[in-house]
Amino acid sequence: MTYLNKLNPGQRAKVVGYRHDSPIARRLTELGLIPGRTVTYLRNAPLQDPLEIQVGPSCLSLRHAEASLVAVEVEEPTSL
Amino acid sequence: MQDVGLKPPRSKTIHVAVCGNPNCGKTTIFNAITGLRQKVANYPGVTVEKTTGQFQLKDDPNIYTLIDIPGSYSLSAFSPDEYVAVQALLGELDKSAAPDLIVNIIDVTNIDRALYLLFQVMQIGKPVVVGLNMMDLADKRGLTIDIPRLEKELGGVPVIPLIGSRGKGIEELKAAIALQASVPHVPHRDFYHPLIGLTADKMIHQMQNGHVTRAEYLRVLFDINGPAEKAFIKEHGEKGKILLDDGRKSLIGEFGSLTIAETQSLTQRAAQVTEKSVHARRSTSRSRSEKIDKYLLHPVLGPIVLMLIMGFIFQSIFSWAEPIMNGIDSLFGALAGWVGSSMAEGPLQSLLVDGIIGGVGSVLIFLPQIIILFLFIAFLEDSGYMPRVAFLVDRAFSWCGLSGKSFIPLLSSFACAVPGIMATRVIEDRKLRIITILVAPLMTCSARLPVYAIMIAAFIPYTILLGFLNSHGVVLGMLYLLGLIVAVLVSLILKRTVLKTQRGTFMMEMPSYKVPTLQSILVRVFNRAKSFVLRAGTVILAITILIWALSYYPRAGDASTDYQSRIASIESTTSQQVAMIDAEISRLALSPEQQEASLFAGARFALVESPDELAAVRDELYLLRPDQLAAVELSHFRRTVELASLEQIATLENDRAGAHLRNSYLGRMGRTVEPLFAPLGWDWKITMATLASFPAREVIIATLGTIYNLGSGVDEGSSSLVQKMRDAKWEDGAKAGLPVFSPAVALSIMVFFALCCQCGATVVTIKQETGAWRYAIGVFIYMTVLAYLAAMLVYQLFSRIGW
Repeated sequence: MTYLNKLNPGQRAKVVGYRHDSPIARRLTELGLIPGRTVTYLRNAPLQDPLEIQVGPSCLSLRHAEASLVAVEVEEPTSL
Repeated sequence: MQDVGLKPPRSKTIHVAVCGNPNCGKTTIFNAITGLRQKVANYPGVTVEKTTGQFQLKDDPNIYTLIDIPGSYSLSAFSPDEYVAVQALLGELDKSAAPDLIVNIIDVTNIDRALYLLFQVMQIGKPVVVGLNMMDLADKRGLTIDIPRLEKELGGVPVIPLIGSRGKGIEELKAAIALQASVPHVPHRDFYHPLIGLTADKMIHQMQNGHVTRAEYLRVLFDINGPAEKAFIKEHGEKGKILLDDGRKSLIGEFGSLTIAETQSLTQRAAQVTEKSVHARRSTSRSRSEKIDKYLLHPVLGPIVLMLIMGFIFQSIFSWAEPIMNGIDSLFGALAGWVGSSMAEGPLQSLLVDGIIGGVGSVLIFLPQIIILFLFIAFLEDSGYMPRVAFLVDRAFSWCGLSGKSFIPLLSSFACAVPGIMATRVIEDRKLRIITILVAPLMTCSARLPVYAIMIAAFIPYTILLGFLNSHGVVLGMLYLLGLIVAVLVSLILKRTVLKTQRGTFMMEMPSYKVPTLQSILVRVFNRAKSFVLRAGTVILAITILIWALSYYPRAGDASTDYQSRIASIESTTSQQVAMIDAEISRLALSPEQQEASLFAGARFALVESPDELAAVRDELYLLRPDQLAAVELSHFRRTVELASLEQIATLENDRAGAHLRNSYLGRMGRTVEPLFAPLGWDWKITMATLASFPAREVIIATLGTIYNLGSGVDEGSSSLVQKMRDAKWEDGAKAGLPVFSPAVALSIMVFFALCCQCGATVVTIKQETGAWRYAIGVFIYMTVLAYLAAMLVYQLFSRIGW
C-alpha cells in the first residue's frame, strides 16, 4: 500500500482509504475518490505541484499534500 | 384566457432553487431560462454571489423566481461560504423566499457523482425536478440513457433531458417546474442507509423541531465541527450535544467513520441507479479533452500557450479599451464643455460640469476594461480552460499564501484593479479570495502610468546603465517590482495572521473542454457591467462630488471680483482697439467684394505653414490693389490683438482657478497637513494635489496643472507643467528659495503612488465584493500607511545621498 502522491504519471491504482477522516478527505470522496475506485495518475503541473488524476469520467487536480491523504494499492506496473 | 365575470386566478410567486455540481452547465441553463431578467446580489456577510431571475408561462398567472445556488458536490459544508449555499437551499436564509421547489442540474457524463448531491437534496422534502444536461455529449461518449427507467429508479422524480448549449429542453423544463410546483404532496424518497435514516429520525423526534428538515439534521450529524453542528449546539445546548454524540457513535460503530457512513451508502445507491438506467456502449472516454490537454498541460508547451493567451488578454485590456476610454473621456469632456458654456458661471454650473458630469464619466471610464476582461473570463470559464490556468501556475502562487486561481485577477489588476477584484469571483475559497482582493490594488495599474511618466521624464536624469539599460526604464521597472514584492509580503503576512489558511486546498475538477454559448457569455458580461455601474457607480459619484465641493468652496469674493474686473478691463481695451482697426478698414472705402477678398487673403496669410503655400498666397496678394493690401495688413493686426487678449484672459482665468484652489477647503487642508508630509519632502502643493487624487490617482496631474496656474487641461505630456515643476521654489521656511522638486522628491511621490490606494472605485468595489466595509477600509488604511512610510524612507535615503 502507498499514497496517491507517491505514484508516477501514468500509473493506475485502487483507492483503499484515507489517512484520517477530515473535511479534505470528505471533499475528495465527494469528488469521486471513493474506496474501491480506480484512479489514474495523469501528470504533474509544470512546477510539479499540483497533480492531475482521473477517476471515473472526471479529471481532478489536487496538491501533493492533499493526495498524500489517499491510501492506494498500485494496480499495474508503470506503463510509461 | 378568462371569461368575462370570472375572477382571474391569483398570481403567486413560486421560488425555485437551481442547484448542481460545478461545471454541470447550471449557469448556462439558468441564463437560458431567465434571460436578462436577473438580479445579482451578495448573500449578506459572505462573498457568495446570489443571482436571482424570473420567468413566466403562458396561461399561468404565477411568477417563477429562480435562485442560482452556487455549484457544489454535496450539501456538506465546512466554511461559512459553503454553508450559506446550503442554507439558501434549505430556506433557512430568507424564510420568505424559501424554495418551493428544487431543480437539480446533472451533467449526464458524470451522473454517478451528481446523484450523490441529488440524494442529499431529496432529503430537504421539497419537490425536485432533475435537468439532465449535456445529452449531446452522452451520445458522443456512447452513453444511452433510459429516462423513464431513471425516473423510476429515482422514485418518480421527473427527469428532463437538456442540451443547455443549444437551449434544447428549456421549455420542457419550465413546464415540469410548473407542474411539480402544483403537486400538493411530496413523496418521501430516501437513498441513505436505513440506519442513518433511523438515527436522524431519532434526533428529529427527540428535539421536536418541526421546521427543521431532515437534510439539516443529516448535516448536523455528518459535518464534524461544521457550521450546522455549531448552530445546533448553540440552540440545544448540552442536551443536543449528548444526543448528537450518541447518534455519531452508533454510526461510527457501524461504518467506521462518519465520512464513510454518508459517502458509502450514497455512492453505492448512485452506482445502482446508474447501472440500471445508463448503458455505456463503449468506455466513457474523455479522449478529446485528454488530447487537447496533452498540449495545453504539457510541461513546456502548456506554459508557453498560457503566456501567449494571457499576453493577448492583457494587451487587449490595454489597447482595445483605450480608444473606447478616450472616446468616453472626450464625450464627457465635450458634454462638460457644452454645459459649461451654455450655463451661467456659478456653483450649479461647476457642480454639473466638474462634479456630476466628471463623476459619471469617471465611473463609465472603467466599463470598457470591465467588459473586455469579463468577455475573456466568461470565455475561459465556459470553455473549461480556467481551471487549467490555475493548475499550470498554482505552484508559483501557493508558496506565498495565494493560489493558481489568484493569477487572472492579479494579472488583470495590472490594467485596473476594479475588474481584477471583480474577477476574484472565480476563487471559491473565501480566505484565499480575500487575500487576493487585499493585494490586488498593489499591482501597478494603468492609472499610475501617467503619474510615473511625468515624474520620471521631469526629474530622473537620463543615463545608460551597464551599457544597455536606460535609467528611465529601470526606475519604471523598479516601481512595478515594488508593487509585486509588497503584494507578496502582504499576502505572506495575512496568511500567517488575520486570514490563516488551511494547509493547501486546491481540489477541483478539470472539466471537459466545451464551446461556450454566446448567450451565456453576454448575459454574464452584462450582469457584471450592470452591477458595477449601479452599485459601485453611485458611491464613486458621491465621493467625486464630495471632493469637488471641498475644492470648490469657499468661493471668496475678493480674489474672484479682482480677477473679474481685470478680465473685464482687458476685454474692453481689446474691443476698443478692434473698433479702431475696423474704423480704419472702413475708411479705405472698399466695395464689399474687395473687402471680403482682402480679409480672405489676410486670413490665408496668417495660416501659411509651408513655403509652397506662402508662394501661392503671395501670388494672390500681388493681384490686390494697394488699398486692399492695407486692409489685409489691418485685419492681420486685428487678429493679433484678439489672440493676445485671449491669451491674457486665459492666464488670468488659470491664475484665478489656482487662487481658488489654494483658498478652498482642500487647499487649506493641504497647508494644514503640510508638516505631516514634510518628511516625504513634499510642499503643500504636492500634498494638496495628492489629497485631491484620493478618489482617482491620475487626477494629480490635472490638479498640479491648476495649482501651477496652467488650467486643468494639462496631461502627462505637458512640457509646460514639467517646466513649472522644475521652476517651483519653496515659498518660505528653512528651504525658502530652493527648488521643491528633486529626484528624491519625485521618487518619494512615485513610491507613494505605487503603494497608496488612491482609487475610490477600488475601495467601493472591495466593499461590494466582500460585502463588508471593514475590508475596504482595511485596504485603504494599510496601503496609505505603507505608502507614507515607504515614501518617507525613500526620500530620507535619496535626499541624503544628494539626489
